[in-house]
Amino acid sequence: MGSVSDAMLLAAESGPHLPSVSDFLPPEILFEGTPFAINRIILVRLVATVIMLTVLIITARRAKVIPGRWQAAVEWLLDYIRDNIIYQVMGPIRGRRYVPMITTIFMTVFIFNLCGIIPGMNIAATASVVMPLAFALWVFVQYWRAGIKEHGLGGFLKEELLPAGVPWPIYIILTPVQLLELVLIRPISLTVRLFANMVAGHLLVATCYAFTQFYLIESAGAAVKVGGALWLCGGLVFTCFEMFVAALQAYVFAILATVYINQSYPEAE
Amino acid sequence: MPLAEEEVSGIALFIPEIYDIVWSLVVLIVIAVAFYVVIMPKFQAVFDERAARIEGGIAKAEQAQREAEDTKRKYEEQLSQARVEASKIRDDARSEASHIIADARSRAESEAEQITANAQRAIESQQQQAMVSLKGEIGTLATALAGKILGAKLQDNATQSAMIDQMIADLDDDKQ
Repeated sequence: MGSVSDAMLLAAESGPHLPSVSDFLPPEILFEGTPFAINRIILVRLVATVIMLTVLIITARRAKVIPGRWQAAVEWLLDYIRDNIIYQVMGPIRGRRYVPMITTIFMTVFIFNLCGIIPGMNIAATASVVMPLAFALWVFVQYWRAGIKEHGLGGFLKEELLPAGVPWPIYIILTPVQLLELVLIRPISLTVRLFANMVAGHLLVATCYAFTQFYLIESAGAAVKVGGALWLCGGLVFTCFEMFVAALQAYVFAILATVYINQSYPEAE
Repeated sequence: MPLAEEEVSGIALFIPEIYDIVWSLVVLIVIAVAFYVVIMPKFQAVFDERAARIEGGIAKAEQAQREAEDTKRKYEEQLSQARVEASKIRDDARSEASHIIADARSRAESEAEQITANAQRAIESQQQQAMVSLKGEIGTLATALAGKILGAKLQDNATQSAMIDQMIADLDDDKQ
């Protein structure tokens, strides 16, 4: 804690308290040293989980055939995920069994991302590498399972690694790339895309507010204050932008998960 | 900026802590179970029920429309039947009326004929009577007249009876 108060002191004296990578490696605050240790990000994650599930379960419990305003809003979102993400990509027959999975992923990623701009939380619950990775691994398991179920293990690998209609010398390059894609690139790209977006978003917004704090509150001089006000505007703009990114990343994650799973199915219908 | 924070490398972000793994999985499993067991089935059920109700409503409306059309067709049939019946009744009435008129006319004609015939007969019988009485009177008158004209000539009985016989013979000849 000493270094933190030092930092505050230093910030006040010599410059803005800029966010850094260490924001994403916060100290453990509960059950330190055990496998159940909780730090700031995990606390945000737990709180977000409790809130999201409470709200959704209450909404589901009270769901009626003729929806109220709130239920209609939730249903709009669920309908959107089902029709515009899942059914759009894989069609209703194949897609129906993946609706709960993709909905879970979309809603969780979206709500966790939004935590990054909720005052008091101020960090996305997806801003530690394991959370996006967990989602990515779930997708990974699902598209392997679907592929093995449809083609058998050998059939699936042949389909993916030695695609038909390609002259054989191409396989020398294509097959390792495909294998890499299937085993590593897909889950890693899903993970890193989401994680890095959340990290960058947090750094961007926090930087704006750090400069706002420094120039507008802690510094003197009219010109400097105007600069601080501009940083505040920037902070507001980027906060709105982060809302958009939260939804966009949830959408991208969900649609890529759907596409990956769909690719494990035979093409010819 | 404190130096300690500067030293943290970006790579560290990608090295997962065990507790992070634990809590990520706990959270993910809890959320997934909630979605799979509670939230999605409930919403799915609501969606399905709504769809069923809408489809049921549409079916009901279609049935109502069909019934309405049936009723309309039945009504129209009845209407046209009634029209046909009405015109038939009118025709019957018209023909009956003409029958009645014709009957009445023929009855009147026959009655008139009968009346005419009766009158004729009465006239003839009266004529006969008149004729008979006239014949009697003519005999007497003729005798008297002849007596007056002849006068003296007829004073002898022989001439008188011969003349009367002669006259009666003539009358009988006339009559035959």
